Amino acid sequence: MFARIAEALDSRFKFKDDFKKNVLDHPVPPRVNFTFCFGGITFLLYILLAVTGITMLFFYVPSVDHAFTTVEYITFDLPAGNLVRAIHHWSANLMIVFIFVHMLRVYVYGAYKNPRELNWITGVLLFGIVLGFGFTGYLLPWDQKAYWATRVGVLMPESLPLVGSFVTKFLMGGDNIGALTLSRFFALHVAVLPIITAVFLVGHFLMIRKLGIARPL
Amino acid sequence: MSDNEMSRRKFLVAGIGVISGTIALGVGGAALTSIGAPAVTNKREGKWVEACNCADLKPGEFNQLSITYDAKDGWLDGKIKQLVYVKMNGEEILALSATCAHLGCNVNYDEQTGGFKCPCHSGAYDATGKNISGPPPRPLARLEAKVEDGKLKINTAIKEA
Repeated sequence: MFARIAEALDSRFKFKDDFKKNVLDHPVPPRVNFTFCFGGITFLLYILLAVTGITMLFFYVPSVDHAFTTVEYITFDLPAGNLVRAIHHWSANLMIVFIFVHMLRVYVYGAYKNPRELNWITGVLLFGIVLGFGFTGYLLPWDQKAYWATRVGVLMPESLPLVGSFVTKFLMGGDNIGALTLSRFFALHVAVLPIITAVFLVGHFLMIRKLGIARPL
Repeated sequence: MSDNEMSRRKFLVAGIGVISGTIALGVGGAALTSIGAPAVTNKREGKWVEACNCADLKPGEFNQLSITYDAKDGWLDGKIKQLVYVKMNGEEILALSATCAHLGCNVNYDEQTGGFKCPCHSGAYDATGKNISGPPPRPLARLEAKVEDGKLKINTAIKEA
C-alpha cells in the first residue's frame, strides 16, 4: 500500500529524483572526511532535543508549585519518561561538544573565509543561542542545583557598566529568582529560542547549499 | 569495477537508512510511549471508602451521603468528593452515584416520584436509578457497597451502568 502511495506521489512530484539529486548524489569536493559530519551531527542532536523536549512539554508544568513535581513524575513514574529526559539531557550536553568540534574543524580548514563569512557569523550566533538554551533549560527542573546555578548566571551581567543591574533584573523578572523567572525562562526555552534557532539554521543551511562546502586542505 | 562501485554505494545508502531508522524508531518510540502511557496507566482505581455508621441511616429510604477519598491524578495527590444515594433494605444495599449520566451534575432526590431529578437539564430517574425522561442516555451508576463492623463501605469503582 505504501509503495503504491509513494508511486502515486512520485509520478506527480518526482521527489525520488530530487532526493537522489540533492541528497544521495549530491556532489562534494574530493577528500572530504568524517570531520565534515560534525555540523550534521549537531543538527541531528537539535532534532532529538526538539522531539524529546516536545514530549516532556506534555507533562512539565512551568510553575514553582509543580515544576519539580512534574519533573519527578516524568523521571520516576512516566513510562519511558526517564529515557526521554536522559536523551534530552545528553543531547544537550553533546550538542555543545559537537558545535565546538564543528567550529574547530571549520577554523582549521579555513572554511570561514570569503565567500563563507556569513556562515561563520550565523554559526557563532547559533552557538550563542544554544548556550542560551542551556542556561534557560537548566532552571526548569527547579531543584537546588537549578536555582543556585541560575542565581550565579543572572548575577553575572550585574557587573556590566550602566545596563548591568537592569539586565539582571530583566532576566530574573524582578528583584529575585521566583515564579516570574521560571516562567520567562520557560517561554524563552520552548518558544523564543527555538524559533530564532530555526531562522538562523535555515540561513546557515541555504548558504552552504548555495556555496557548497569548502574544499578540504 | 562498476559493479563494485554500485554495491558499495548501495551498502552505504542502506547503512544510512538503517542508522536513521534506528534513531527515529528509538527516540520516536520513547516519545510516543511517554505520551501514550497515561491513557492506560493514569487509572482511577476503585477503592473501599468508609461512608458512615449504619445506625445513622434511615432504613428503607434514600440517604444522601458524601464520600471523600484520595485520588492520584498524574503528579497530583488530589481528593475526590462524591455524592452518593444509599438505600438499605435489611441485607440489601442499593448505592447510586449522584452523578447525572448526561453531563455530570449532581442529581437531587425527588420526594414526589421517589426517584431522582437533575437540576441542570431536568433529566429524571426512577427509584432504581433507571433513566426515565430527559437527556440522560443511561441509568445512574451503581456502586458496590457492604457493611463491615456496623460501618457502611462504598467502592468508588463503577459496578454497572
